[in-house]
Amino acid sequence: MLSLMVSTELSQTDPEFGGIVVENVARSFGTVHAVRDASFVAIPGTVTGLIGPNGSGKTTLMLMLASLLKPDAGSIRIAGYDPFGETAAVRSRLGWMPDVLGSWATISVRDTLTYAARMYAMDKATAAARAAEVLTLVDLTDLADSPTRVLSRGQKQRLSLGRALVHDPSVLLLDEPASGLDPVARAQLRVLVRRLASEGKTLVVSSHVLSELDEMADGAVYLSKGVTASAEALARSRATARPWRIRASDVTALRAALIAGGIADAAIATDRTELLVALDGEAAASELLVRLVGAGVAISTFAPAVGDLEHAFIDLSSEESK
Amino acid sequence: MSPFISGVGVILSLELRQRVRTTSWYILLAVFVALIFIVTVLLSFALSGFGSVDNGAAGVYSTVIYFVLLLGTLVAPALSGNAINGDRDAGTLATTQVTLITTGQLIVGKFLSAWITALAFLAAAMPFLVYAALAGRLRASTIVISIVVLALELGVVAAIGVGLSGLMTRPLFSIVVTYLVVAALSVGTIIAFTLGGLALQTSATQTSSYGIEYDSSGKPVSCSEPEEYDFQTPRFDLFWGALAANPYVILADAVPITYDSNDQPADLFGYFKLTTRMAQIPQDTIYSANTCVVGELEQYEDSPTARSVIESTAPSWAVGLATHLVLAGALLAGAWARTKTPAAKLARGSRIA
Repeated sequence: MLSLMVSTELSQTDPEFGGIVVENVARSFGTVHAVRDASFVAIPGTVTGLIGPNGSGKTTLMLMLASLLKPDAGSIRIAGYDPFGETAAVRSRLGWMPDVLGSWATISVRDTLTYAARMYAMDKATAAARAAEVLTLVDLTDLADSPTRVLSRGQKQRLSLGRALVHDPSVLLLDEPASGLDPVARAQLRVLVRRLASEGKTLVVSSHVLSELDEMADGAVYLSKGVTASAEALARSRATARPWRIRASDVTALRAALIAGGIADAAIATDRTELLVALDGEAAASELLVRLVGAGVAISTFAPAVGDLEHAFIDLSSEESK
Repeated sequence: MSPFISGVGVILSLELRQRVRTTSWYILLAVFVALIFIVTVLLSFALSGFGSVDNGAAGVYSTVIYFVLLLGTLVAPALSGNAINGDRDAGTLATTQVTLITTGQLIVGKFLSAWITALAFLAAAMPFLVYAALAGRLRASTIVISIVVLALELGVVAAIGVGLSGLMTRPLFSIVVTYLVVAALSVGTIIAFTLGGLALQTSATQTSSYGIEYDSSGKPVSCSEPEEYDFQTPRFDLFWGALAANPYVILADAVPITYDSNDQPADLFGYFKLTTRMAQIPQDTIYSANTCVVGELEQYEDSPTARSVIESTAPSWAVGLATHLVLAGALLAGAWARTKTPAAKLARGSRIA
């Protein structure tokens, strides 16, 4: 089961730690405070989701992590290095896939990757060999010699990911990597992301598609109005009631069993052939399931109606708007 | 190869491939060559009519050089004026900036690429320049200096374009401003010179006397009283500095002048040089136009020769060229500061990526 985490208790000063350590980072543009106070830790070998509403400062935070923007306050360490004092050390270990898809329109896919590799100080032969590897990795071999302007959005997305991977970085920042991808490509992306994590890389993925993140992320950082949610807020959100989806072959029997289990009839919502019931946390859910099975109801589905991240997203968004 | 240079090489190669591998680029070059061909042929016919020793080939050479400067300064802003902000709009700037390529390498690479592209026009004009230089039996110094100064001026325009594209957010705006800077240097300096000279007029007094009666040999026997005539005269001598910043003047002034047998300039460079040098000489405020002396034939003063004018005035090309190089360097440095990452300050309304 996925756990939402904001860990500040890890040993962040340990240079061997690697990963990403962000402490109280703030950045404003004139009078607009894009990021006010962001803190989180991303551990090597894990995928961290960065979620938040539009305009919450996700991209600004990503740009600071990508060593492009200087924070006004706070500190960032990428793979143990400071992006603003040891920029080159960070850049050689960092891959960034931006949310804006740009490519050199007249250059072929293969040459795009070769040039990207050469920008990381690889010589021509090494760069060409690495470009060939990355082409296979992101499944663009068939289009290798086409100019990038003929690529579809999904193909450009894969090229952008390939460019971020060209120097085999230990830290990867993916800004909206799944947008514009068809379901098959999304599944491939998920497999690739998990594989990269299993190789020990640190990944931060920002996305609006929360169900996507649910499937690939080990943890999440919630950003709202430029502030990362505190551990307490996330714990609170986990404890709040959320709807569970229950399906049984006999809906009437299910409803009767639920009412017998102490749930008010008015609290049971019907969604086509399924019933939705609000439950406080996982313990309550397990308890209810045991009781339903004990009552002899043939259950075929018993799951949260919204993903963990979506629940946290909606819960924290509504909390802060109060 | 040092890491800096190899990084510049990667950017240069990438930029040139994106520019030069387009059909429109070759069409542009072909049109340019066709124009130069027409100009060379027409000028050769036109100037040979004057019956000079070289059949006007020196004139053809200097005109073709000016033509390359004109077209080069017209094309270079379009090629360089969106080098940086155009990449930002296309979403390819930030992905380059997160690599090990430094801002310095990026800007130097883009500048060199814009310069080399502009120099392609000079290269395409070479056959015509070689023909005119051989036909006119030009001195090596004329050829070398005119080509070097022309190449430098194309570099200055390329640097202005790249610099402004780094300083301004919108590509269209920076291209237009680059054109305006080129126009200010090429035309604006002449306007400033003319208007400045005309606005600051000074009064001058001309004294003249005439013969009233003449003897049989044409010498005056009695003279009129000297007449004084007050008039306003423009002070171009105060504004010749404006002309020093004009690229055409710099080119003309830098080339060592060739005189014909009458000590007059032999080519277009020479005439430009003479005209701009004459502007340095202040108009006398009191002078006599004509003095009648009893018993002497009236003498008209010879106007000074081109040689004496040029030898008595200051060469302005070095100052002008230095000004251009400083302007180009300052704009490139400004673009560097504006484009540097991690960025501390962002221009209003601009995005990094």
